[in-house]
Order: sequence, then C-alpha cells, then structure tokens
Amino acid sequence: MTWKRYQNELIALIAFVFMLAAYGYKTAQVSAQAESIAAAKHSVEEIQEVISLKKIWADKKTSKKVEKLQALVPDSKVKWSNKNKKVTASYKNLTARELNTLVTKILNVPVEIQKLKIQKVASSYDVEFKCKW
Amino acid sequence: MNFMGNNKDLLLVYPSMKPVSLTEAVNVMLPPQFYTLKKEALPLRYAYQAKKIAPSLFDGLLEAGSHYEYMVWKEDEAWVFLAYDIEKITAFLESKGFALEHVSKLFFAQQSVDLFDKPLLLGEDEALVSLDRMVVVVPRGAITEENGPSLVFNNSFTPKKGIVLSGAYGSVLSLKQASMLAAIFILFALMFFVEGSRYSDDSEAGETKIQEMLSAYPALQSKYTRDSIVAKYKAIDTAERKKREIVKMVSGMIFKGVTLSSLEVDDKSYKVHFTCKDAQVAKRLNLLATKNKLKTSAISGSHDLKIEGTL
Repeated sequence: MTWKRYQNELIALIAFVFMLAAYGYKTAQVSAQAESIAAAKHSVEEIQEVISLKKIWADKKTSKKVEKLQALVPDSKVKWSNKNKKVTASYKNLTARELNTLVTKILNVPVEIQKLKIQKVASSYDVEFKCKW
Repeated sequence: MNFMGNNKDLLLVYPSMKPVSLTEAVNVMLPPQFYTLKKEALPLRYAYQAKKIAPSLFDGLLEAGSHYEYMVWKEDEAWVFLAYDIEKITAFLESKGFALEHVSKLFFAQQSVDLFDKPLLLGEDEALVSLDRMVVVVPRGAITEENGPSLVFNNSFTPKKGIVLSGAYGSVLSLKQASMLAAIFILFALMFFVEGSRYSDDSEAGETKIQEMLSAYPALQSKYTRDSIVAKYKAIDTAERKKREIVKMVSGMIFKGVTLSSLEVDDKSYKVHFTCKDAQVAKRLNLLATKNKLKTSAISGSHDLKIEGTL
C-alpha cells in the first residue's frame, strides 16, 4: 500500500510519462517526415534524371537532326552513309566557316560520336565523322 | 467493484481506545473530539460557496497555530460546517498504531447523525449520542437505562463522502496540485500528438508528388526499369558530354597565330595538333591548355603543340 502514500505524485508522474510518450511520438514523426522528404526528393530527382536522359538520348527526332548534317555543305563535299541508325560521313575541302557550322551542329545532335577527325589540308579542312544513336 | 472505497471496514476511533494493529486498509470514523462543528442557515446555494466562508465562521473558535481544513454539507435548511486538523488526526492515529497507508478514508461521526438514534458506547467512560441532531460525547454515567442498549457500530455507518487521507500526508504534492500538473502534462501530450499526426500527414505529400510523376510516365513505374534506363544512358551521357567538352575547349584555344592542324576524337581518346606562329603564341597556348587541364607536348623543330588524352 506504499504507493497510496505517493498517490498524488503517481498521478503527476503518469501524466508526465504520457507527455513524454507523446513528445517521443512527435519527435519520431518529425524525423520520419525528414527521412520521407529526403527519400521523396531523391526519388523525384532520380525520376527527373531518367526522364531527361531519355528525352535526350532516346529522342525519336534524332534521325532527322542527323540528316541535317548532310545538307549543311554542298553535296559535292560530302560522302554520306546512313545504315541502321549509324552514320559515316566524310567531308572534303571545307572552309573554316563550314567547318565551324558543322562542328557546332555535330556537338548539338544527341548522338554517340564514334569518330570525329578534322584534318587541315592546305587552307581547307577534311572531316571524318562516325556516329550512332 | 466499489470505487468509493466503502467496502472497507469502518473503525470508530476515540482517545481512550487501545492501540490497534492493522494488516488491511480500513475506513476511520472520528468522534467530536477531533472536529469542531457549526450549523448555520445561510442563503448559500453551493457547497463551494459555503467552503469559502467556512474559515470566517470559525473565527476565535479554533486553536491558534493549528492548520484547519473544512468540510461542509447541507442538512435540511442549514449548512453544516466542520473544521478539523488533519495533522492532529494523523498524529492520533499513528499513536494508536495505525499505519497511515492503511487508512483509506476518514469520516466524521456527525455525517452519520441520523443513525445515532441510541447511544454508542466509547470505551469505559464515554458514549456518543445525538442531541438536537448533533453528535456529542457524553459521560457514560449520563446515559440512563431508558435509552436502551448501545448501538452496534458497523459498516452501515459509513457515509458517502470522506476524506482521502493518502493525499493529505507523505505526499509532496496535494491532490489539487497533482491534478493541475497532470492536466498541464496531458494538455502538452495532446498538443504533441496533434503536431505529430500533422507531421505524419505532411510526410505523405512527397509520396503524392512521386505518384503524380509516375502516372505521367507510366513506363517508369518500375524501379528496375528506371535503373536500367539510368545505367544505359548515364554512361553515354557522361562520355558524350566529355567529348563535346573537349571539342569546345579546343575551339576556344584557337586565336590569332594558332591554327588547328588536326583533331581526332574517338570513344577512348583525343588528339589535337596546333600550329603556332611563334614561340610566344605557343607559350600562350600552352598556358591556356594548362588552365583547361590539358596535357601538352611540344613538337620538336617547330612551335607546334600536341594535346593528347583519354576520355
């Protein structure tokens, strides 16, 4: 019956423990939320990355963009071969301006550059270009 | 189950009683020696109002220096005011062998005045009788045979309302203080629970955003698919960005006096050949290459520079 002697303290203590438990619950929820936000952020970033990677490297318009590389210079300067999403091109006697335009366009087309060879021949440039997508 | 504690034995205590030895909790009834009583017909409606004015009613009647507490209740049209000194009562009980933790509730004889229709003997010399609806102690000699045999004191004398002694001794906190503290703690606990549940709701918001994105791109529902897409394109992306970066760097290194003689980029490496007009231009180009973290090598017999590296 000793507990009866401290009945009042016991009432306060039980309420205090209840409050501590509630505080623990709140703290757990706060950290769970932080974890959940971090996990969600990570997932969102991951999905966004997948989406953007797919958008760049699996673009269905890439073929059309690559075809434009053929028309950049006069036909006489280009040898063009396009098979199964693989292009082998050979440019001859390009002026500096043509070379600049071509290289800039090549860099902006989302293809895997297998070979890009630029050779200065006298005052003009020869370019060999191989790519796939 | 009796929550009122009235299932315990009721003991009537009095100054001349013999010491007791208790093993179980009991209720205790106190005779008039342990309290001061006053009856007043006052126009009061509630007991708390009566309790408020109780100390002023006993002005001059109580021993100075003692700490009195009050009990009030209504009897017919009058209010009954009862003052008692809990310290005096507990001291008496302890002197008679009562372990205070065995005393469940304290009652006063006046509370059961209706049952005192006959005298109740208190030891050898005294008796409790009801006079004008007040329980008083009288010498045993004052009782005549006309009064009949003594009352039998038993649990039926237990009134409804008693004093919980456990809250009045030993404790650092009074029942009122404990209740107040408990209320504050519970209030905080409820606030924490509400706040916690809000956080739990908020954490579901991120999940909703993911679901929205996935419903816009159903093909990416599976983590396996996403991982394989990332594995496939990430490597391509990294390598291709590097190739383009090299070509851009090289084009940025062409200035007056520098000519690009050749450039070759494939899947694994790159080679660049610059022709420089003079040594000063070559030096400037070398500095630019170092700034771009490119490894240069001079070509003997000329001012030309070669840059090579792996991707």
